[in-house]
Amino acid sequence: MYKYDQLDQTIVEERVAQFRDQVARRIAGELSEDEFKPLRLQNGLYLQLHAYMLRVAIPYGVLSSRQLRQLAHIACRYDRGWGHFTTRQNIQFNWIKLEEAPDALADLAKVQMHAIQTSGNCIRNTTTDQFAGAAADEIEDPRVWCEIIRQWSTFHPEFSFLPRKFKIAVTGSPNDRAAVRVHDIGLRMHKNARGEVGFEVIVGGGLGRTPFIGKTIRDFLPKQHLLSYLEAILRVYNQFGRRDNMYKARIKVLVHEIGIEAMREKVEAEWQAIKDGALQLPQDLVDQIAAHFAPPPFETLPAGIAPEYAQAFRTDFEFGLWARRNTAKHKQPGYAIVTISLKKEGEAPGDASAEQMQAVADIADRYSFGEIRVTHEQNLVLPHVKQADLPAVWRALKAYDLATPNVGLASDIIACPGLDYCALANARSIPVAQQIALRFKNWERAHDIGELKIKISGCINACGHHHVGHIGILGVDKAGEEYYQVTLGGSADQNASLGDLIGPGLDARQVVDAIDAIVETYLRIRQKDEIFLDTYRRVGLKPFKEAVYAAA
Amino acid sequence: MAKAPKLNDRPHVVTANHLSTGDVVYLTAQNEWSRAIADAVIAPNAEAAAAYLAEAEEQARRNIVVAPYLIPVDTQVSPPNPIQFRERIRAFGPTTEAA
Amino acid sequence: MPLLKAGQIVDDPWIRVAEDAALPDDQPVLITHARWEAEKEALSQRNAPLGIILPNSLDVLGFGAEAGRFSVIVLSFPKFSDGRAYSQARLLRERFGYIGELRASGDVLRDQLLHMHRCGFDAFEIARADAAEIFAKALAAYSAYYQPTGSSPQTVWAQRLRQRQEAAQ
Repeated sequence: MYKYDQLDQTIVEERVAQFRDQVARRIAGELSEDEFKPLRLQNGLYLQLHAYMLRVAIPYGVLSSRQLRQLAHIACRYDRGWGHFTTRQNIQFNWIKLEEAPDALADLAKVQMHAIQTSGNCIRNTTTDQFAGAAADEIEDPRVWCEIIRQWSTFHPEFSFLPRKFKIAVTGSPNDRAAVRVHDIGLRMHKNARGEVGFEVIVGGGLGRTPFIGKTIRDFLPKQHLLSYLEAILRVYNQFGRRDNMYKARIKVLVHEIGIEAMREKVEAEWQAIKDGALQLPQDLVDQIAAHFAPPPFETLPAGIAPEYAQAFRTDFEFGLWARRNTAKHKQPGYAIVTISLKKEGEAPGDASAEQMQAVADIADRYSFGEIRVTHEQNLVLPHVKQADLPAVWRALKAYDLATPNVGLASDIIACPGLDYCALANARSIPVAQQIALRFKNWERAHDIGELKIKISGCINACGHHHVGHIGILGVDKAGEEYYQVTLGGSADQNASLGDLIGPGLDARQVVDAIDAIVETYLRIRQKDEIFLDTYRRVGLKPFKEAVYAAA
Repeated sequence: MAKAPKLNDRPHVVTANHLSTGDVVYLTAQNEWSRAIADAVIAPNAEAAAAYLAEAEEQARRNIVVAPYLIPVDTQVSPPNPIQFRERIRAFGPTTEAA
Repeated sequence: MPLLKAGQIVDDPWIRVAEDAALPDDQPVLITHARWEAEKEALSQRNAPLGIILPNSLDVLGFGAEAGRFSVIVLSFPKFSDGRAYSQARLLRERFGYIGELRASGDVLRDQLLHMHRCGFDAFEIARADAAEIFAKALAAYSAYYQPTGSSPQTVWAQRLRQRQEAAQ
């Protein structure tokens, strides 16, 4: 993984010093709250419902064991012993004191971490496939380009006060695990007719109040032009994006209003003027960054299933259940990718205790070259585990309640913090997720239901990605009461789609029953091998709607 | 069913976040701030509420608290119970303890 | 309004002239873009130096070719959070090679000075007695940058390339 050189390190340390000065000026009264707010936000510090919340970037979801241990330290020293992994490969600490925030950032800087641009109307943490560098279906490792984007976007002087926030996602695989079609810019690596690898550039996707699936602005962008092309898009957006209404200020609205052809014309014209300039990346520098992402020293192992793994799979039912759901195919023979579920039924999705973080760091050191990933679905990943070690990894995880065999199942729910923590929320998310997960706790039923992505947001900002949930749930405030709107048929993968609203809102108790009724309907009418989404796409809303409102 | 009183007709307390810690706090009768809503000074009417809020805003200008505002409370119970759901969560903490 | 230029507080010799007011002879004036568009020919006859105030909604691609006719270009920050003028500044400096004074006007705050400087601004309308001091501090906050912009061409990347070349020798 990427390691800072002295220059990167200096910049992050200078940021800590700058923020320490800003906090001191605020506490001394030299800065008003109005002046200070944008400054603290650009360093990921929010004032939430109960306290300050610090959002720490985990660039493109990659963590070393040392970094994860430091996050555990932050959780203990500055918080109440917990961290919350978010839907954007970040981690949030919910109980931070303003006066201690600079110290927390200084501790993060010691392990090459920061909270830079985790909020504000700037370019946010770039996200990618949590299986990058390990996935069997990968064309090329997207992390190299994510790191290049990280550097280019860090304190970009022209793009620090955009009309609105800006999110970039990259996938290096045809099976999109990074939701690139619902980002401000999505980059999909693929090969052109000559076998060269480049980017399909997708622009104007996004969730929130007005969801859009992104549109392709360029089919194939040669890699060396990535930064100039991004700069051209951002420059057009910075100048022409709407600033009269914050709800219409994202790039998706600009693309929608002027149309993708006009957008392309502007961007391509701007790009022509800068493409051969200083942002054209010298291969030397790309190689230097790529070298950081060289594969770890894998053992040469035979192809096929390792005997120890096969043996445990046959003899230990519980292990087999877990291995089926929580492991994925690795590109290296004899290895597997392990997803660690942070979705134990009844717990808050994405939460990890300091003790669990320590445990995962230790397990990663022993079994996964000290590397961990964070997923936008709020789980963790051990990217490089020998198949023969899977039974031991499973036992080690189980000791810390980290082996729930539910990845991709009904209880593997994405949920934003909701009204329990978030100052913007209209309704709670976590308790709804907890109740639904408990409803689908029975493993037999859950595995029979199969892949089902339930996503819950506590307000229209859609941090819980409800629009692209197979089942989406949106919390709204109706005359002081929490209500939930249910959508069906959303998806964030390479066949992205937005969910359809099923009908009138439901209260917190009804919504759990409604999900149950929807799932029962699916089980009744599904055809061979169909997952819920397939069935929905075949039959549409009607039978599900009837089932939900029949009882009401 | 008797109509619930309008929000504005209810007693109010002043809440804010403490600047340097971020804690949820309530204005007390001594013009200090407490993390417990039980310590909050109750404004029985709009006039008192305006006076307490003015004091709180002055303290915000002096950088003791951030963004003070009034919230309606039910004083039939002890401690006073915020009428709005959001304010109950602020007063008594997240509701997410595992079931 | 005091002016911070080249790191110093200086007197501002430029007179802002309202849209419909008569232009004083032989004095440097700042005119609006609308006036320039309407009275281009007459204004071109003036001997005294001319400066222009551009709205931040202007697409400077249509204006850039004329930029060299002005000694001062004033770009606007109606609110500090409205960042359109950053792009205008870079385009004027880097695309059109404008070398005159590029002035930031409006909501110009301490914590944005560095961004403005890096985008090519060299003058700032900022009403603070300690403007020179905070400007010096703002510029000293960082010792390296990733982006090759007009005023910070010595990027981290350029430094890395140099380090590699030196190491190779």
